[in-house]
This record gives sequence, structure tokens and C-alpha cells, in this order.
Amino acid sequence: MKTNCSHQTDCMKLIQRILDKEASAEEEARFVANKGQCLPCQEGYKLEIALRKALKSNCTSSCPSSLLESIRSKISSILLLILILIPLFCWFI
Amino acid sequence: MSTEISAAVTLTESQARALFEKEFVPHMDAMYNFALRLTNDEDDAHDLVQDTCMRAFRFIGSFEPGTYAKAWLFRILKNNFINDYRKKSRGPSKVEFEWVEQSFAGEDDPEPAFQADLQAETVNEMLGDEITSAIQALPVDFRMIIILCDLEEFSYEEMAKILNIPIGTVRSRLHRARTMLKETLATYAAKKGYKTDMLSA
Repeated sequence: MKTNCSHQTDCMKLIQRILDKEASAEEEARFVANKGQCLPCQEGYKLEIALRKALKSNCTSSCPSSLLESIRSKISSILLLILILIPLFCWFI
Repeated sequence: MSTEISAAVTLTESQARALFEKEFVPHMDAMYNFALRLTNDEDDAHDLVQDTCMRAFRFIGSFEPGTYAKAWLFRILKNNFINDYRKKSRGPSKVEFEWVEQSFAGEDDPEPAFQADLQAETVNEMLGDEITSAIQALPVDFRMIIILCDLEEFSYEEMAKILNIPIGTVRSRLHRARTMLKETLATYAAKKGYKTDMLSA
């Protein structure tokens, strides 16, 4: 097994594109075939997965219900205004 | 207000309400989270999401049901942030910002290789606060693209539209952002004494 990868930067870019579902089937097949022989690529693959998992578990937050209610109420005010303005406009012309 | 009225008037009241509930509400958590990560402040995030929804509502009459509302809303939110909130957002501390700027001067420079030792095991052991701080320490353009890709799982093409940049820039900025994030985490790990010697052994 290789413990040194001479094209680590390119390999990491490919690993990221694979995990982002942006790599072609050929690129993915080539990586899967070579991964078994390259320790840095295996470690890099595991690291990228761990980072995504860590971000998903630690960097998400929910919208406060008060915010949603405030937006709904603003929208209701706009719609109410429309209901009043349109008949008024029609009445004037 | 007058623009909001003129655009929304193309729909009936119940249609506009139904479209809001169906197309906007399912993305509120994601929008709020994105706004919170960009502004670093709950009140600013609240205002940013509210302004975004009201701006989107102005054009709800022109929204085509069935198209991807989430990408559309995120684009409005991003533009709104750049135009109105960026200056007053509570960004990373000056020291942290200078550190990343020194390491990565500009997007046209050759892409840096990730040099520091950081293993999946170390990331798994790290505390939530350390992960959050590392993300918040990134310059906003880099933080933005990592959130869009890794949390919201937008495609490169969708991100190019949301950020209004070519798809090649999406690729290079994303790679650079992830390299910065790993460097930051490796620095935290070394400071806190997490195990970092597996690869170099």
C-alpha cells in the first residue's frame, strides 16, 4: 500500500467531487479501483466524510416560530391592503 | 409597499397564501440557518430572512410553481445580505481573518495543497463549538459556499446561479474553502492536544 501520494491535491479534488455527486461514473470507478492501494487517499476520503458529518451535526439551526409568524402577519397586512385598495381604485375610475 | 402590491395583485389572496405556504415555508429552517451563519447574529438573521421573504413575495406572481424555490430564495437571500447586511455583520475576529488572508491571498493564485495533519478520527472527537467556530472564522465567501454545498447540498450549477459566479470558480472556491477549514481545524486540534500524528507517522 502507498503511504505517499504524489498527486494528493488532485486526488482530494476528485474525492470532493465524488462526495458532491459531481464526478463522472468513470472518475468514480477509477478512484474506487485505486483507493485500496493508497493510504493518503483512504484517509482523505474518511476525513472529507467526517467533515461533512461534523458540519451537519453542529451547524444547523431551526427557524424560530416567532419569525415565521411575523412573516405570515406581514403578508396578511399586504394582502389586506390589496383587498382595500383594489375596490377603491375601481370605484375612483 | 407599492411594488409588493403590484406584483402580488396578479394572484388572488388565497393563491398567494397557498404559494407562500407550499414554496417558502418548507425552506425556512435552511434560510434561517444560512442567514445566521452569514450574519453571526440572531437578530440580523431574523431581519435578513424576513426581508428576503418579503422581497420574494413581491415577485411571487412571477414564480413558476414546480421550479426549485429553494435555490431562488437562497439567491435573493444572498443578494440581500451582500447589499444590506454585509457591512454590519459580526464577522470573524481580525486576527483570524488576517491569518486566512495571509495563507490564501486570492482566488486566482495557485490552489494550496492541504499540508497539516488532520484525521477523520480527530474531527469526530472535536466539540461542536470548535467545528462551529472554525466555520465562522472563514471569510464570508468561503463560509457561504461550504454551507451551500455541504449543508444544503446544492449542485455546482445551482451554486453558480445563487452566487452569480462561473462553475469553475465554484469548484476552486469550494476546494479552497475546504482547505482553509481543515487548516483551521488542524490548528485547533494541535492547540487542544487532539491526536494529529497518524498520517505523518
